[in-house]
Amino acid sequence: MVTDSLKICTVCASNNNRSMEAHKQLKDAGYDVKSFGTGSAVRLPGPSIDKPNVYEFGTPYEDIYNDLISQNCRKMYEANGLIHMLDRNRHVKPAPEKWHSNSYAGKFDLVITCEERCFDSVMDDLMFRMYSRNDESDVKQIVHVINVDIKDDNENALLGGKGILKLVTMIHEFRQKKKDAVEDESDVILEDQMMSILTEWQKENTHLPTLYGISYY
Amino acid sequence: MSTVAKEFKPEQIIEQLDQARTLAFSMPDTYPQVLRQILNFVHNPDKSIQKWCVKFLHESFVKNDKLKQHDKIDLALDTLDSLIFLSNVKDIDTFESVIDISSVIYKLVFQYVAENVGCNQVWSKLTELKNSLVNKFQSNYPLEPSDNAEHDMLRNIHTKVELLKFIIIVIDYQSQTNVVNANGDSTPPPDTFSLNKVSSTHALIKYSNMEYESKSLLDLVLKVFSYDILIPPLLSAILNHCVIIMKRKPQYANKILNIIENYDTNTKFQSNYQSVESFKLSKKYVDRALKIFIQHVLRHNLVPSNYQNSLNKKLTMLIDRGNDIRKKNIFNIEEPNIKKRKFEGFLNSAKKIKTIDYKNLYCLNDVDNELNNFDLTTVPQNILVSMVINALGKASVTKLSKALEIIGERYTDAVESNVVAAPTVKKEIKQERQGFDDEDDEDGPTGYDPDSVYTLPPPTELSFQEKKDHISIIIKNFFNLAKNANIVSVEDKDDSKTQNGEINVSKELTKIAIKSWKKDSWIILLTRLATRGMRSADEGKSPDDRANSEISDMIRNAIFDYFLDNIHGRIDLIIEWLNEEWYSEKVFNEEIAIKKTVSSDGLHIQIETPIYNKWAGKVLDAMIPFLEPNDRKIFIRLMSDLPYLNEDLVGRIKSLCLDPVRSKIGFLSLQFLIMYRPPVKQACINILQELSNSDQEDLKEEASKLHAKYK
Repeated sequence: MVTDSLKICTVCASNNNRSMEAHKQLKDAGYDVKSFGTGSAVRLPGPSIDKPNVYEFGTPYEDIYNDLISQNCRKMYEANGLIHMLDRNRHVKPAPEKWHSNSYAGKFDLVITCEERCFDSVMDDLMFRMYSRNDESDVKQIVHVINVDIKDDNENALLGGKGILKLVTMIHEFRQKKKDAVEDESDVILEDQMMSILTEWQKENTHLPTLYGISYY
Repeated sequence: MSTVAKEFKPEQIIEQLDQARTLAFSMPDTYPQVLRQILNFVHNPDKSIQKWCVKFLHESFVKNDKLKQHDKIDLALDTLDSLIFLSNVKDIDTFESVIDISSVIYKLVFQYVAENVGCNQVWSKLTELKNSLVNKFQSNYPLEPSDNAEHDMLRNIHTKVELLKFIIIVIDYQSQTNVVNANGDSTPPPDTFSLNKVSSTHALIKYSNMEYESKSLLDLVLKVFSYDILIPPLLSAILNHCVIIMKRKPQYANKILNIIENYDTNTKFQSNYQSVESFKLSKKYVDRALKIFIQHVLRHNLVPSNYQNSLNKKLTMLIDRGNDIRKKNIFNIEEPNIKKRKFEGFLNSAKKIKTIDYKNLYCLNDVDNELNNFDLTTVPQNILVSMVINALGKASVTKLSKALEIIGERYTDAVESNVVAAPTVKKEIKQERQGFDDEDDEDGPTGYDPDSVYTLPPPTELSFQEKKDHISIIIKNFFNLAKNANIVSVEDKDDSKTQNGEINVSKELTKIAIKSWKKDSWIILLTRLATRGMRSADEGKSPDDRANSEISDMIRNAIFDYFLDNIHGRIDLIIEWLNEEWYSEKVFNEEIAIKKTVSSDGLHIQIETPIYNKWAGKVLDAMIPFLEPNDRKIFIRLMSDLPYLNEDLVGRIKSLCLDPVRSKIGFLSLQFLIMYRPPVKQACINILQELSNSDQEDLKEEASKLHAKYK
């Protein structure tokens, strides 16, 4: 476990492929991480493009796994990596979770979305939470929201996960810098240097376009 | 408790505080008492104790269900003073916690004041806390300002986005709320607190003041949109807060939407503190934040109808812009229109010196700049001087002083830090030290002690003769100034080049150094040196003072001799000098007299001016023998403009009256004085009477006639 890890979550549409690959990589690296989906339901490829497998959020990966291997198209699911994906997922956490009802999970310092649509959805939902909840004794907390755009397939999820891990590591290492070692404290303030970190990372990862903003919980 | 605390070490105090905290959490009844005791430790100079207290206050007020609501309100009132104090403790983490604690306490206390009467003191403390926080939004608090405004816009964003939370709470509480519903109508809020809940006749919370302040705070926040550079974290944080205002304060919707409508990232400049790549990303990020904001407010019916069309257009434009670059490598997109903001700072503004040498001490531009390698010693001195003078003339005062401040800090840093000095510098310091303090030679092989701060040796005392020599030189220089035709008023515009085309350096220097130098400035300086500069408070009794008055007399003699060279032409100068002389002496002696006389009639004491009297007499004695019959005007002018006359001084006119050729000047002066200087009227009449007893007939006749007329 990384000491002094940021509280991180990864977000994609169905909380199965991209966010789960990144979740696994971050978890394996020792970060404090959770993951969510912003879709209305968990949608996985089905026998044909107009017949997806749809599950409610909260359906255990185990159940989805069993459902898929019991179907006639099992061979197809094995070939396109679906079975492998669910097998991975059920070893990471029990079930896909929905972003919009994740208040039980607490607050995060860093949210990484894997698609522009998900970034918009998270930012929009955080805006809604700004005025819809009213706990007078609570204070809002800053959250950095970064989108790393990843194509929704096995191979890209893997590459995207690597990119995300690199980015999180850069941010984590930045936070370990000591105040006393610099002349201008601004140099070690994350909010002041986030643009430089993202730019540096983006230069190395031009295939993973980014978005970024600060919101509050 | 706090007095006892001084006897303990910080770790021991913290251990006790931990125990108190445990007690509070295990026995909630004791919590209020524990918290009040802990407030005594907030002022503890030990940072670790202070931080402990801040942490405890944070967990006490933020999301704490151990404390009952009414206890929380009482404690909030008691905590105000500590929070005001803590809001000025310069530490980022402390300040961040103070913002959070204040956010909770502000709400509690505001409601308390709204519901109770006679809370003047509480209200003024709350106002003080609020102002202490919101006033820091525009600065980089708790960081010190950098060398220029642009850099400061980008520094300590963290505290700014934290402060934003508090400012929005203040805006929310201090203005009326009308929540916008799903269908776009607005209704008063169901159960949240805002200005609506305060009586409109409340003695302290005035609607108009509150709403005015809310509006000003919103303007302060929205000002970030008018910056000519992009700060994505801050802009997105503000947009996210603006939705609260849009939802709850429809009265401010137009203000916000007007700014959003006119905001375009294409009109902004690349900051000097970011790369072009970073700027391209910034534009993309800010455009996205705007898009999400507009989509949100449109979808939730928060937009007044008059803005719907324009916002929809803006949204389409932003979506198109986003789609254009989505799948591209953003860094490869050609953007010829990107312009950098005008740079106002220093490329090398580091206040710590990296390598101890003169180059690193003074270099304010990029250290690697090729220009730094140019050897200025090859430039002829006169050109070099004119370059420097030109540069000084053009440099802005603020920038120059900022530059000197940076260099000053580097120097201090170099001297204070224990860095082993580079050989060149070390050698110089060593030589200087040996120069004034030989005893240190035995300190070590180098004689250099890096811990000691180098100070200049005190100047050696001048002997009296040396002082006199220097004064002679100073006097000579002043008269050179008077004679030298080159030193002219700066207002006299002329070309600064001499005939052979060389620049007149001393004239140029005068322009820079003494901007208000006038033709006669030298006499003011010189007379003041004599009359004030050399005077001391011990009334001429000490040897020092006698020496000083001797020096003053040297100057007076010099001025007097200068006058004798040309009595007719230098009468103005003499009047100026004697006025200075009399005024200084009068003021000075008056002060001594007042000090001596404690009683109230001290002000009526006769103040004598013996020095003035002596020199005025000398001037008259020197002048009168040389007066020509037609010098009437200058003599009367002198008699009229001398600040003080007495019987002795006026008596010197007698000799004029006795001279048949110039007696007319004498009598005219006496008549003038009788008419226009009442204090010496009697003295003049006495002279006339004396003269009317003369044995010279014509004199007797004239004097008797005038005496009869004025007596």
